[in-house]
Order: sequence, then C-alpha cells, then structure tokens
Amino acid sequence: MVTPVLPKLVGQRVKRREDPRLIQGRGTYVDDIKIAGMQHLAFKRSDVAHGRIRAIDTRAAEAMEGVEAVFTGAQIAELLAPMPIGTSFPSPPHRALAVDVVRYGGEPVAVVVARDRYVARDAADAIAIDYEILPAVVDPELAMTGKPAILHPEFENNVALPPLPNGTGVSRDGKTVDDSAIDKAFAEAEVVISQRMVNHRVVPNTMEPRGVVAHYEPGKESMTIWSSTQAPHILKTMIAAMTGLGQHQVRAIAPEVGGGFGAKINIYGEDYVAAAISKRLGIPVKWVEDRSEAFVATTHGRDLIAYVDLAAKRDGRVLGLKMRLIADVGAYNMLLTAAIPTLTMMMASATYDIPAIRATLTEVFTNKTPTDAYRGAGRPEATYFVERAMDMLARELKMDPADVRRKNFIRPDKFPFTTQTGAVYDSGNYEAALDRALEAANWKQLKGARDAARAEGRLVGLGLSMYVEVCGFGPSSGMATGGWEHAQVTVERDGRITAVTGVSPHGQGNETTFAQMLADQFGVPLEHITIHHGDTAVVKQGIGTFGSRSQAVGGTALHLAGARVKAKMARFAAELLEAHEEDLVFESGTIFVRGAPAAAKTFAEVAAYAYVPVPLPEGLEPGLSEEAFFEPSNMTYPFGCHIAMLEIDRETGEPRLLKFVAVDDAGNLINPLIVEGQIHGGLAQGIGQALIEETVYDQSGQLLTGSFLDYALPRATDFPRFELHNTVTPTPLNPFGAKGIGEAGTLGSTPAVVCAAVDALSELGVKHIDMMLRPEKLWRIIGTPPAPAHGGRA
Amino acid sequence: MDISGTYLFNAPPRQVWSLLMDTTAIARCVPGCRELRPVGPDRYETELSVAVAAISGDFKGTIELADKLPPQSYKLIVSGTGRPGFVRGTATITLAPHESGTAVQVAASANAGGLIARVGQRLLEGVARMMMDRFYQCLASQLDSGQG
Amino acid sequence: MAQVSIRVNGRVRKGDVEPRLLLAHFLREHLNLTGTHVGCDTSQCGACTVLIDGRSAKSCTIFAVQADGCDVTTIEGLARDGQLHPLQEGFWEEHGLQCGYCTPGMIMSAVDLLNDNPTPSERDIREGIAGNFCRCTGYQHIVNAIQYAANKAARK
Repeated sequence: MVTPVLPKLVGQRVKRREDPRLIQGRGTYVDDIKIAGMQHLAFKRSDVAHGRIRAIDTRAAEAMEGVEAVFTGAQIAELLAPMPIGTSFPSPPHRALAVDVVRYGGEPVAVVVARDRYVARDAADAIAIDYEILPAVVDPELAMTGKPAILHPEFENNVALPPLPNGTGVSRDGKTVDDSAIDKAFAEAEVVISQRMVNHRVVPNTMEPRGVVAHYEPGKESMTIWSSTQAPHILKTMIAAMTGLGQHQVRAIAPEVGGGFGAKINIYGEDYVAAAISKRLGIPVKWVEDRSEAFVATTHGRDLIAYVDLAAKRDGRVLGLKMRLIADVGAYNMLLTAAIPTLTMMMASATYDIPAIRATLTEVFTNKTPTDAYRGAGRPEATYFVERAMDMLARELKMDPADVRRKNFIRPDKFPFTTQTGAVYDSGNYEAALDRALEAANWKQLKGARDAARAEGRLVGLGLSMYVEVCGFGPSSGMATGGWEHAQVTVERDGRITAVTGVSPHGQGNETTFAQMLADQFGVPLEHITIHHGDTAVVKQGIGTFGSRSQAVGGTALHLAGARVKAKMARFAAELLEAHEEDLVFESGTIFVRGAPAAAKTFAEVAAYAYVPVPLPEGLEPGLSEEAFFEPSNMTYPFGCHIAMLEIDRETGEPRLLKFVAVDDAGNLINPLIVEGQIHGGLAQGIGQALIEETVYDQSGQLLTGSFLDYALPRATDFPRFELHNTVTPTPLNPFGAKGIGEAGTLGSTPAVVCAAVDALSELGVKHIDMMLRPEKLWRIIGTPPAPAHGGRA
Repeated sequence: MDISGTYLFNAPPRQVWSLLMDTTAIARCVPGCRELRPVGPDRYETELSVAVAAISGDFKGTIELADKLPPQSYKLIVSGTGRPGFVRGTATITLAPHESGTAVQVAASANAGGLIARVGQRLLEGVARMMMDRFYQCLASQLDSGQG
Repeated sequence: MAQVSIRVNGRVRKGDVEPRLLLAHFLREHLNLTGTHVGCDTSQCGACTVLIDGRSAKSCTIFAVQADGCDVTTIEGLARDGQLHPLQEGFWEEHGLQCGYCTPGMIMSAVDLLNDNPTPSERDIREGIAGNFCRCTGYQHIVNAIQYAANKAARK
C-alpha cells in the first residue's frame, strides 16, 4: 500500500480558510456595501408597548434637507401585504410597519429615506406620533386571563395556540387524548416531584446587528437584496412574494454575516420595507440596525414557563412525566415563532426511557418583542426542565445525580428509539457519555473537594446535566421551507474545484469543512477547492443554516454532488487510461489504475479532456458539473453530559463558575478544531443565560435591559477554561456519520450551572431557583433561607 | 415609578400656594425648563431639556393643574414626548401648616417609554427625584429671598 | 464642517467633517476602512477598537475632530509587507474567530494588551479583553490566540 502524498483531511484540525480576510478587516458585511446613489433608511419606532396611533406628523421630517421621502405604516401597507410566516399555526395579521395599533415597544411605525444615516436618524426623531396609550400585558399567565389587555381581538384571551397535547395516549393530530397511562404512572408513584420553572427570555445579540441593502433596477426589472441573514433562499422567496416579483427576478445575497444564532432566519419587516421602497423609488437603499434598536427590533429567544411533575419509584425509576408549557411568544408570530416551543414538547423524554409522558403547550401573546429561534430553539428549554426535575428527584431520594440518570437512560440496544412524544432518536450511548464525563471531571474527587470547601463554610456546589439535541433539520414533511439541501460541484477545466452549497454559514466555517470533505473525495489539495455560498444567483437552490443542519444535510448534499462528478470524471479518465472506471484511484492530484500509479493521469489532464472531449466517450455529455438535492430521512440526535462546579460568595451572593467539563457526542467530526469552537460558543450562551443574561420588562411593557449597559452579555472574565471531551456514536442517517454540533453547547450547560447553584445552597434547604442567578437573588436566599414548609433541611 | 417627598417652606400655606401657582416661578425652578405657555385654563405647554445617563434631549409637553383645593391640595399632570421617548406622570401635592410654615407633600407616579426607559431606566428614578428636590428647593429659596 | 488631518495607517488623511461625525464613521465612510466595525451605541462592545497614538480606543466614542492630528492604526494597517501581525497569526492558528465581526476590535485591544504586558497570564488576558464582546467563541480560543502571539514574541 502506497502512502498517499496528500493526507486525509476529514477529521483533522484544519485552520479555517475564512480567516485571512476576517483577521485583516477585509470581509464584506452588509454595512460595508456601497452603491452609487444609495440612500439610507431610519425607522421611527413605537415608544409605547401598546397603543392606538391617533396621528402621525411627518412634516418636520419631510422638510429636512437631505430627506428624500417619509413613509408611514399606512403608506407602506399600500406596497406590502401582511407579512407571511413559515408555519401553519394560526397567526394574526402583522404589518411590516404598524398601522393603527402598536403592540410592542420598538415596533416600527414610519420610515425615513435620506442622504446619510445621520440625517435619516434626525428625521426619524422629528416624526411626532400621538398615541392613545392602551394597557399593556407582559406576564403570559396574566395575559391568558384576557386582562388587562387584548392584543389581537381574534385571539381570545391572548391565546395564540390553545393547549396542544403531545405524548402517551395522544393521537398524532392531538385531537384524541387517553389519560389512562399517565394517570396510572402517577397513581403508582412513590415519589412525585412538582415544580414550576421559568426558562427566561434572552436577547440573541449577534455582534453584527441586522442590516439590508435593497437595489431594484427598473431597467432590468430585477431586485438584488443583501441582508445579514442565515437563509438567503428563504429571503429570496419571501421578497419575491411580497414585492410582486417572480423568484427569477430576485437575487438575495448573504454577504459576510456577523453571527445569527437563530435570530437571522426570520425575514423581517425592515427587509420588506427596504425592498418595497427601493422598488417604488427606483434607487438602492440601505438600513443598518443600531444596537439599541436591535434589543427591541430583533426577535428574542426562550421565554417558557413549565409546570413539571415527575412520578418515580423510590429506587429512582421514573414512571411518568407531565409538562405543562406556557410560551410567551411576544406580540406577533414571526417566521418560526409558533413552532419553536413544539420542539420542547417533542424533547420531553430527554435521554430517558420514560414510559408515560404528557406534554401540553399553550402559546400566548404579550406586549413584548416577538420570540423566534435562538440557539437550541426549544431543545434547551426541554433539557432544562427535565434535567432540573431529575436533579430534584435525586435530591429528594438522596441519590447521586448521576445514579438517578443512569437508572433511566434509554439503553444503547434500543435505538432507533421512538419516544412517547414521537421523536425517533437515531443512535445513542448515554451511559458512555456520562461515564466519560464523570471520569474526565473526576466526579468522586470533585465531590470530596466540594465537601471540604463546605466544611470551611464556603457555598460550593456541583451540577450535572445530560442532554440530547435535535440536529440536521429536515425532512420536508416537518418544514414549510422544505427540509432538503442542495449542492453543486464543478471540476473546472484546470482541475480546480468550485462547489456551491445551499447552506449559508456565518461563522460555522463550512468553507473549510466542506473543502476538507471534497479534498478527500477527489484526492486533491484543499487549496484547489473553493466553496461558494450565500448568493442565490450562484447557489441555485438552498434552504439555509439553522437547526445544526449544515453538515448532516448540506454536507451530505455536497458529498452526493461530488460523487456524481467523480463518477463522470472516472469515465473520462477510464477512456484516457484505457481502463474500467471501477478500477481507478483518485489520489494526490492524480487518477490511476489501482496498482499502477506510474501511469497516472493528472487530475487537470482529465478535467481538460472532459471539456474538449475528443473523442467523446459513448453516452457521455461534455463537462464536469453535477448537482444534488439531499432529503434526509430524519433528524439526528447528538447528546452529551455537562458538569459544572460553582461557588457562591456568602457575603455578596455572587456566583462564580469554578470548573466546567463537557462531553459531547456529535458522531464523527469533520474538523475537531471547529467543533470545539462551536461547543465553546454554545456553552458561553447557555452558561450566560444561567448566570448573567436576563431580559426585563416593566409592567408598562418597557424593556429595561435595552442596551449593553443593562443587558449583561458575557465577557471573557465570566468563564473558566472549558474542559472538552467527546465520545463518538455515529448516525446511520448520512454517509459521514456526523450529527451536528452548532447548538448542543446551549443544552446541557444551563441546567448544569443551575443544578450546581442549587447544590451550593442545599444546606439552606433550597430545592430550586429560577434563573438567572442574580447575586442579589442568591444573597437574599443566603440571608433568609426558604421556610422549612417549602424546603426543610436534609 | 413612584416617588414622594416632603418639603418645608417658611411661609403660611396661602403664600406657598400662590408661589406654587406662579408660572414664572415654576418655569424658573424646573430644571431645563425655558417657559410655560398657557394654552387653556390651568393648562400649559412647555419645553424641557433632560439628560439621563447617555440619553439627552428635548421634550415637548403639557402641564395641567387639576382638582385645585386652595390652599390645601391640587393635582399636577405632566406629559412630554421627545427624541428620547416619552414621560408621563401625575403628582398629588398637599399643603399643610407645619410649625410656623408649610409642609408640602408630593406623591408622584410616573412612567417613561422609549430610549430613555430602555437605556436610562436605572437612573431615571434618581434623576426624577433630583429634579423634584431641586424644584422645591429652588421655590423655597425664592420665598426666603423674598422673590416669591 | 471642520477640517481634520489624521494619520491613518501611516498615511495622512484630510477631510471636511461634521463636528458630530464619529471617528468610526470617518474611518468607515470617508476612508472606506470598513474593517473597523460598529457593534453597539453605548461603548460596550469594543468592535470599533483602533489604536490612537498607540493606545487602544473605541472609535465609536470619539469624534473625528477629536482625533485631529493623531496617529490612528486600524486592523487594515496591522499586517506589514504582507506579513501578518503575530496576533493575526494567532487568531488564525488558534481558531480565535467565527463570524469575524468582533475580531478586528478584539485584535486591536490585544495589541495594546501585549504592549502593556508582553507575558500575560490567562487571567490578565481575560481581564485585558473584558471591554470587547464576542458572542461566537466563548473567548477560549481568543485567549489561546493571544497566548500564541505572546509566546511567539517571547521566543524571539
């Protein structure tokens, strides 16, 4: 066996090919785009959370020098129909700019078109709006009583989605419900854990705020729209539909995108308004969001209340789980808003073989910024609720938190495993991940260290959490956008490879990982491959980057397209080498008959022949360019175990994370370096939610944490060094056995930290604390422990 | 946001009442206020410059006096909107004899919206309290210096 | 309008600017140096960090007129003669960036940090970049990247 000159790259820590431009300030983000004649937009937003617009006075704004035009909501409504959503859930009409009624602080009401952003902002500030202020409602459980405000008259008591059941005894359509199994589980229980928990609202805060440049060219009757989006093809589809253009007339481009985290899947009112104004005025326009706008104008994440009841035997065996969910979706349904909390229901079984589950979900409108996907989107919430309940069960039974979990795992021989809520887990070995984490963290020793610290009077706690994630979103049966992905691979005349993918990376590094795959597939150097993405004129079809689907779905599509080109190239090579194509080897930039590398043709020679095919092999067309659509058969379910050690300062209540160990199993890894980066980022967001991030509204619906002055985005000093380990359980659902890792970090980390905080305070009788772990909240608990009636010392 | 305070004046209630109804004195003592323009009975328009944390700007607003019971009590209804957002508030002001002078008790509730609330909320209450203190101290000093 | 003359990446650049024009916008809009990013409007995020007379500064917090006569270095001016600065190299080697938006400001802050303290501990590094937000990386690879640059300088 000859050692290949080019090493296999899949599985290697390859440096990113995206970086040279980004570390030199040469990337092009939306705000870096300039077009001659371009005007700037600024939006006038509602200062009130709920109000009826009595009058809008735009005269002062229109009179300003440099102002091209001002449009009110009513004027934009003549250009744009209500905005479409991406789910089949019932939804109230939602205008790109509010008409008559505003329903959250920050809702856009009017827009200015002006010479530059300073003038546009001045003019927007000069627009005077007279509101009849209506009562606002910010608490979803209060909103469900229909008081003190009704947001949308057609949704009684503000209920966006009436209780939707899922689980044991519930028919697939949710229409018939049989309670016998879940009732039996609770009747046979020896111990029941009941707790109301809140998974609070967070602000995604991509470092690059949103932005859009719309350029309608009247002479060409075509629209080019650059947007800081995760899904340019969805953008193209929606912009075409909303502006009355055909999809062939719209080109959407996601240039360099500065983070998404789910908040840039949605197509926003500002995108439509920019497109409509550009088309109406026939000029290019740009809008870039300020950070203080982003806090109210870009969707938020999470905001779920759960009433959890866990039924178990005293040996720790779980018999049944009830989870009643109330989702605060804010003022409107956005693209995926309504569907996100259904994922929480779907994942109620977590890593456990729970024989009876009943989940119900109610979605409620409130006078807040709408929610939508945020990293993990529904799965972190499920993980949090179930893992906190398991932890409470362990404490109640005085069992080690690892042992309770071990007792209930779905056994490795049971995969594929269908949960009571209908999820089909592809593969898993949860006990292996748990054992790996216990070993890596040195659990026994850690417990000893905790106990020693406690003996000194310190408040130190340990928290452990399992998780199972859903990745590789598809197939199309569950996604209104389609659940496939598309790719095209071209071997150019010089033997270099141009590949396009329908996923739209914004930090995930697919220009590197996808090139690694193709380099191995074709046996060519990485440098000979370019990956294009994000431009619908170059990438013919696609869905986008979200739901940790890039590798499992996009990567597979690319691999399939590559395989097609390779097969065709092999036929050309076979002709040149006078051999059978099945005997050929692609290696180190050459193609040769197995065992005869000396008689190799170079990759470039074969490529050149394919484009000037004299003679043309029988049955072949010239050229080397093939595409593929990949429709996954199901989603993938990576998993892991996270362990946190945390200390709470007895004097100040300030929590400090001392240690964090993560074991993640995402199946096979294409690039471990990039995977580590993805995990780190997920951990930071999950831990951030538990420790310092919180979105606070006052009773009148004003967002009080509306800037980085008050919203605590994690800093480098907030984290210890994360210790990462992994296990490998490949998925059978794609040729790489890769599951996905983009969001996983946010799942186990949040409950692990909260479990650690509860453990630290357990000597005070604490059984549960809602996030976030504000020092003041912990300080009060330390000062006045909960009354024994609610807790009681062990 | 609820704030309250009590301010002592060295004059009998009737004299303090007239001072509190004197729009010139009020305009002079409201921090950032330029003038009060009557637009109806007990109703005035005004412009106010306010700075809270990183947010500053001009508010256009109205001030209304209601439920007047001279020289015992009245209600002050304030609303203003401007570039940084809006503020609305109602204050109940009660005058009572106190030793040789008058105790003026103020109980106000106010809310704010927009940028000033989002970015400045933490400091808003402090700023409102400071402005109220300065207003009444200013009025009291006018009385002391005989200007009232 | 006010006249400013600012030395940017070694070249004197003059311009007529509104007094309220932020230095960040002067760099981005007037000079097309779009590597300096704007990530917030309250001086917290640090995406706009540049060097002014050798010290890191948030260019969204400074008016262009205030920088008149100063020497400004932006991310575009860091590499010399096609040779990446050790910090740029470190960010590449250690996967210190994902979306790249915070990266220019992060690197410029780190330049100042290493100028002050060429052999920082991990704690020093974390504290030194506490004025710069990153939402993608969880900071660990950024810390590694800065350590890489510090180690490289120490080996010389």
